[in-house]
Amino acid sequence: MIAPDWLREDRLPHIYCTGCGNGSVINCTLAAVEEMGWKRDETAFISGIGCSSRAPGYILTDSLHTTHGRALAFATGVKMARPDFNVVVFTGDGDLAAIGGNHFIHACRRNVDMTVICMNNQIYGMTGGQGSPTTPTGAFSTTTPYGASEPAFDLAELAVAAGANYVARWTSYHVKELTKAITTGMQTPGLAFIEVRTQCPTNFGRHNKLRSIPDMIEYLRGNAMLRVKYDRLVEEGADIPEGTFTIGELVRRRRPAMGVKQ
Amino acid sequence: MKLVIDESRCKGCNLCVLVCPYGIFQEGTELNARGIVVPVLDRPERCTNCRLQHLYGRVLCGLCHMICPDQAITWVEEKPFEPHRVEVEF
Ligand SMILES: Cc1ncc(C[n+]2csc(CCOP(=O)(O)OP(=O)(O)O)c2C)c(N)n1
Ligand code: SF4
Ligand SMILES: [Mg+2]
Repeated sequence: MIAPDWLREDRLPHIYCTGCGNGSVINCTLAAVEEMGWKRDETAFISGIGCSSRAPGYILTDSLHTTHGRALAFATGVKMARPDFNVVVFTGDGDLAAIGGNHFIHACRRNVDMTVICMNNQIYGMTGGQGSPTTPTGAFSTTTPYGASEPAFDLAELAVAAGANYVARWTSYHVKELTKAITTGMQTPGLAFIEVRTQCPTNFGRHNKLRSIPDMIEYLRGNAMLRVKYDRLVEEGADIPEGTFTIGELVRRRRPAMGVKQ
Repeated sequence: MKLVIDESRCKGCNLCVLVCPYGIFQEGTELNARGIVVPVLDRPERCTNCRLQHLYGRVLCGLCHMICPDQAITWVEEKPFEPHRVEVEF
């Protein structure tokens, strides 16, 4: 259940396109917040620039809408100044992995106590569909008109390698599991990174023959594979279809963390 | 409890049509005042949450409410003695 009085009702309907997955991620985050029992005046939502990063603007708490890629730097500042605050960062794939790549790995390394939710639509949505570091090989975008030739970043694995205490990946279709993952992330001291594969029918779908919303959902659902199953297939040496990504909890551990609430 | 779609928020993406296990949401056919085709409800009294939320004291299912990207689907309390369509199954 979405926390009822956390939405800025006067700001709705939001700017997201019809069928954009970002709205569902806001719902899941607010449901997780409700479950945690956080108070509005002890919570800050922080974001960079992009469609995904507009999310804090629809939530009735203190928020920072910062410069492109710098959400994590600002969030670290907030957490250091006010360790009693609950800090949640909304960010996009371009925001987090392209211009903000270094902030990302260092925030994971420092293990700052906050929850980072990355809405990975595999494209620069806001600026009209340029390729991002997570655009899959072969996918079309305005900057990869012949299909992306570079391999894509796996953001969740990157966070695991860089040292985050909790890492999970779901899609915006798996709302229940995503809510649970966000809640667990919020409970875990240290940096919790939740990658959400979201649909962007307007910019990713349009260039990749996935213009309709059910097609985009099917693309996400069809390529997602539970991590347990994936590991088993790897062990058996079975073929894993091209484009498959793992979903589920990737890591939960207790590395020393910074800025944990006493 | 009853299911309502807030027409001032709905953008007509039909994600609810995709997820409702009872097929309560059906794609609409008519444009509303905002130029959007809002889904229509087919026998919404079948919704588990509407029937059993009070009994269990928690939200059951609730997939449409969670996935709706436009925060347009909610449940509201019914007024006492609101007219109901009753379906008798033999
Ligand atoms: C310093 C700077 N460089 C470039 C931009 C232009 N810009 C705005 S949003 C954006 C991409 C955002 O992509 P992503 O983070 O994936 O968000 P999405 O819109 O896909 O949710 C870019 C490059 C900017 N605003 N500031
Ligand atoms: S451009 Fe893509 S990410 Fe941005 S609001 Fe539209 S569908 Fe969502
Ligand atoms: Mg993006």
